[in-house]
Amino acid sequence: MNYDAVEILFAEDSIDDATLTIRALVKSGFTNKLYHVKDGAEALDFIYCRGMYASRNINEKPKLILLDLKMPKLTGMEVLEKIKSDPNFKSIPVVILTSSNEDPDVQKCYALGANSYIVKPVDSDNFFNAIKEIGMYWVIINQPQH
Amino acid sequence: MANRNKSDELSFADKEPASQNNEKEKWAQELVIANRELDIANKELAFQNEVKEKRAAELVIANRELAFQNEEKEKRAAELVIANKELAFQNKEKEKRAAELVIANKELAFQNEEKEKRAAELVIANRELRHAEDDIRKLNEKLEQKVIQRTAQLESANKELGSFSYSVSHDLRSPIRAINGYAKILEEDYSDKLDSEGKKALGSIMHNSKKMGQLIDDLLAFSKLGRKQVTVSEINMTDLVRTVIDELLFEEYENIPEFKINLLSPAKGDQSLIKQVWINLISNAIKYSKYKPETYIEVGSEVKDKLVFYYVKDNGAGFDMEYYDKLFGVFQRLHSQEEFEGTGIGLAIVQKIVNRHNGTVWAESVLNEGSCFYFSLPA
Repeated sequence: MNYDAVEILFAEDSIDDATLTIRALVKSGFTNKLYHVKDGAEALDFIYCRGMYASRNINEKPKLILLDLKMPKLTGMEVLEKIKSDPNFKSIPVVILTSSNEDPDVQKCYALGANSYIVKPVDSDNFFNAIKEIGMYWVIINQPQH
Repeated sequence: MANRNKSDELSFADKEPASQNNEKEKWAQELVIANRELDIANKELAFQNEVKEKRAAELVIANRELAFQNEEKEKRAAELVIANKELAFQNKEKEKRAAELVIANKELAFQNEEKEKRAAELVIANRELRHAEDDIRKLNEKLEQKVIQRTAQLESANKELGSFSYSVSHDLRSPIRAINGYAKILEEDYSDKLDSEGKKALGSIMHNSKKMGQLIDDLLAFSKLGRKQVTVSEINMTDLVRTVIDELLFEEYENIPEFKINLLSPAKGDQSLIKQVWINLISNAIKYSKYKPETYIEVGSEVKDKLVFYYVKDNGAGFDMEYYDKLFGVFQRLHSQEEFEGTGIGLAIVQKIVNRHNGTVWAESVLNEGSCFYFSLPA
């Protein structure tokens, strides 16, 4: 797997949510550019080219990080904080994609520098469209900071 | 008499000496004097008699007067007799009354005795009443404490229930999202492997899980309301309603009605909560008007007694007033899903929000002719 060509880093521990999200992204055309990790530690390993991602080029930054909040080892909040406080990586757009619509979570994520906060829709069509639009916007339409 | 005496003496004196002539002349002079005195006396007497006669005449008049007075006196006496008889009668009556009074007084005395007995009883009863009042006061204090305790318990139970229903709904979302998602995958990628029955079954699964998702999202929204803090500010209602309508129309409803938005009085409330109220009421008005070709929705307000009353009026499907008490119930509906989709949470949310603002919400409707929903807020 060529980790350097990854455009979307997707951190999600639920297999079902991961399957549906990946399917939506793939159907929207982001086939090879998507990489899925199952917890926050792996997400940071990927970004910082540690462990099994040591061979990755650290300067090849993904165009978008999709982050679930409730994950084992390191939570989405911790990953967000780490990325957004690091001058090398804080420019990467981070979209929180989570089940929680609790106000404190929303406030805290934005305070930590999240670019967007999306509550996962329950309806399959709404879910699909949300993922598609997120991908389209942040990867295609939005101008990255490089 | 004197005359006779003197004459007798004169005839007797003729035989007497001349010395007796001096005596005779003396007597004659005395006689003349006596006669003169007699004249005077007689005149005096005549005068006296005149006077006496005058007096007698006066006496006669006086007697007549007296007789008259006596007659009058007798009349008065007769009247007095009658009056006395009357008086005697009155006295008899008085005596009867007095006798009755004696009886009445005895009765009164008896009553007073009874009253005193009652008064004594009352004193005792009052004392007992005061004791009872004390007891009641103590009981009330205990009750108050119990009420405070119960209220605290209820509040915490309510809070728990709110948290419970919230977290349950929240946790139910993930599995339902999975069911929806995988059912969709089946439909998109494997429907050619299903016969018509299989497709129907799959459609039903998707339909129902979609509905369940809606119910859960609605329940989540509803229970979240119970926990949300109300931050009050002055709301520009006209702007808020215009914003809501613009946002709703952006979602492209079929058959959009004409809107009449009157100038709305401002009110105090939580801006985001009240926005939800307008969203629910106006989207309902739009939804239930969708089968009628030409419809309008009117929004207005009226200020009365430090309250502002808002209304949303439509001439859409209306509802049967017979089921009015279900109107604001959670997940209660007065129409079928086929006619108008929805979970029946919208009005429950409206009522909850308005009640949090100490306002009231109510509605009037005529089936097939339209409805009008009212709610009040503090001015």
